[in-house]
Amino acid sequence: MARYFARRLLHALTTLFLVCTATFAIIHAAPGGPSVLADPKLTATERQAIERRLGIDRPLGEQYARWIGSVARGDLGNSFLYQVPNVQAIRERLPGTLLLAGTALLAAIVIALTLGTYCAARPGSVADHAVTVLASAAMAIPAFWLAMVLILLFAVTWGVLPAGGNITVGGTGSLGDRLAHLILPVTVLSAALTAELLRYARSSTRSALLQPFVRVAQAKGVSKTRLRRRHALRNALIPVVTLIGLQLPRLVGGAAVTETVFSWPGMGRLGVEAALSRDYPLVLAITLVISAAVAVVTLLVDIIYVWLDPRIRLART
Amino acid sequence: MKRGLVTVVGALALGCAGADPRERGTTLSLPLINDPILNPVIAPDIGSIMINKVIFPGLVRPDEQLRPTPDLALSWAASDDGLTYTFTLRPGVQWHDGQPFSAHDVKFTFDQILDVHSGSRQRSDFAAVAGVDVVDSLTVRFRLRAPFAPFLSLLGYNAGIIPAHVFKGRRLTDAIDFSRARPVGTGPFQVADTRPGSAIILERNPAYYGTPPKLERMVFKIVPDVNVQVAQLRAGELDVILIEPANLASLERDAAIVVREAPIVQHYYVGFNQRHALFASPVVRRALGYAVNRAAIIAGVLKGHGDAPVGTIPLALGDYFADSLKRLRYDRDSARVLLAQAGWRPGTDGRLRNASGSSFRFDLFVDKGNPTREQAALAVQHDLQALGMDVSLRMLEFAALVRDHLLTGKFDASLIWWTTPPDPDQWAFYATGQDNNHVAYRSARADSLLALGRATSDVVRRRAAYHAFQAHELEDPPVLVLFYPRELLAMRADVDGFPRLGLRDALRHSERFGIAQDR
Repeated sequence: MARYFARRLLHALTTLFLVCTATFAIIHAAPGGPSVLADPKLTATERQAIERRLGIDRPLGEQYARWIGSVARGDLGNSFLYQVPNVQAIRERLPGTLLLAGTALLAAIVIALTLGTYCAARPGSVADHAVTVLASAAMAIPAFWLAMVLILLFAVTWGVLPAGGNITVGGTGSLGDRLAHLILPVTVLSAALTAELLRYARSSTRSALLQPFVRVAQAKGVSKTRLRRRHALRNALIPVVTLIGLQLPRLVGGAAVTETVFSWPGMGRLGVEAALSRDYPLVLAITLVISAAVAVVTLLVDIIYVWLDPRIRLART
Repeated sequence: MKRGLVTVVGALALGCAGADPRERGTTLSLPLINDPILNPVIAPDIGSIMINKVIFPGLVRPDEQLRPTPDLALSWAASDDGLTYTFTLRPGVQWHDGQPFSAHDVKFTFDQILDVHSGSRQRSDFAAVAGVDVVDSLTVRFRLRAPFAPFLSLLGYNAGIIPAHVFKGRRLTDAIDFSRARPVGTGPFQVADTRPGSAIILERNPAYYGTPPKLERMVFKIVPDVNVQVAQLRAGELDVILIEPANLASLERDAAIVVREAPIVQHYYVGFNQRHALFASPVVRRALGYAVNRAAIIAGVLKGHGDAPVGTIPLALGDYFADSLKRLRYDRDSARVLLAQAGWRPGTDGRLRNASGSSFRFDLFVDKGNPTREQAALAVQHDLQALGMDVSLRMLEFAALVRDHLLTGKFDASLIWWTTPPDPDQWAFYATGQDNNHVAYRSARADSLLALGRATSDVVRRRAAYHAFQAHELEDPPVLVLFYPRELLAMRADVDGFPRLGLRDALRHSERFGIAQDR
């Protein structure tokens, strides 16, 4: 077990190093430069002073070496745009994304598993067809469009939900207020994810229900509910768990769009702002944090496999 | 379960629709697109500049005719040679932390502005300032290198005063507790709370030296997308926003919203890079000026919210705008005649060719994502192609356009704009060899007129210099001026006390903002 984790850790660190190196190369190859320098009014002297202060007047190789060096010492550098340490910028915004993406993921899992197993038990029924159609629609609708429609309906036309933000500014910040601000962004962020999970859950439960051991259990008189939950669902969960693990980067990416439209103070939007303004240190820091999170989640997924299916052994993977 | 859910949603809906009605009437909300840097000396972007105007007053501020009027300075006098300005400061002014404001703060601010290593974004505005001396605690003297007429306007533009006592030798860019959380100014509102990525909450400064502010609070909310800003305005979550003509349609039928136009000191233009042989001749540039149907762009793209131009000095500058000169007109025949004069004639295929048989082809750059500029660029391309030119449109991100093309001189033509302080000085943009003269315009006459206008403080003689400059621009156009836009300010109908100024200058008068109670 310890050897297994050591190996996984080594893999993860190598991946992080490669991802960061690739990001460094890509962001520097992108056209334009730090937006703090893209002011048409700056004179040449002022530009040079800024470049020197930010350290981007040095050769690219040197910038890279310095950056790797400071990351190794645990220093993620300072943001060009916000002038604060990147660690602080991320710490300010990460909770927002965790709340939004976490709630969306939870909502997606609960809805998808409930509806998926329900439909799997009644293939071809009206409910099954309706859910399939809805799921296709949810996957096809662009998040940005869905978000604008929801804002126009719920905030502008009916005025029942807030159009953006995570809390009423100047309000009391009560739980109800926070939940009200969550409803629309969570709906948008979880829509496509729910649909995709639902289809996986439905088809894998369906095939699990057709397995001989299910029929055996049925013959032994196991109740329908227990059959679905204990025998079929547990086996059906393996592909679903894989999918959830793979969704994490997408969830953060999707959060960027959702956070922008709903003015949600999260890290996804921060990442987009950083990329658009070529805030090199902040882009790298965010990439590092997200990659690390993905590495951790992948590890968790592997552990969950073992719990779901004792035939899988960690040592062999 | 189902009933429970309905109850929860219902309770949320009741409890949270819009803002608390008690808050309405005392709080004004405006949008920013990202977290601002709360220090006027180092603030690099327009959002930061806007909020800093509320927190950090300057020595003077513009009135509704854009003339400098007293703010932190009560009065001033210029020496006869125009080389020194002495300001008498307002007594009894307190910083937001309770410390007294004095001439030392003014000197500190300008020492920072002029220091190239401070991270200052205003150094070029005040390049004419040689130094600042404290005469006594309420008198400060500016020494100029040469007479500099725009000086007072620039003092009232972005040059908010910052407190010397807070920094204690720290670099402005390192004082992030100040610029990101707890700035200290002297304005009518002070920072009560900053929520990264979410909002900056300002509260009324009880010790404000001017008329007491009418509002209790001003909230600057971070709302990055302009369409969402429009939705939030309609939902009552924002009170005042700047919009593009493309947003008008969604606001026109909403009785709770009024849209106001304000003059703004901007000129939009197509800059032709005069390092290229194609655009070197003034005759070709004049022909290009005739070839574009500006009236169609103003009507179609700006929905009428813009003005036809004469030259680069916009209408918003009042008397400095040469109203006696004819506005640029659309005249394809004149364009053809001038192009023929310059050696460009249409071939049998209708394409323009010169004596050596090459065609009139170039790339037109425009920044991506702004509907007004994208549509204007399409219209320009269309008009020039109709004349037989071969124009390729290249849409890039603004930062890439500026850094990789404009600043490096690697472009043929670009559609862009200048926003300037409320002063006609355009030396930096159109005088030979200046850093901001991206199109490499060279004209000895323009140089001497721009130098004269910059050095003359006598208003009549100054006006004459700029009128002569605009007349010269008709003969030798530095750029193809497209239009002078008007700022479109959409606000909730109950917002009052907004001066008749563009938003940037209006924010210098935030103590007058209010919300009508009787609705």
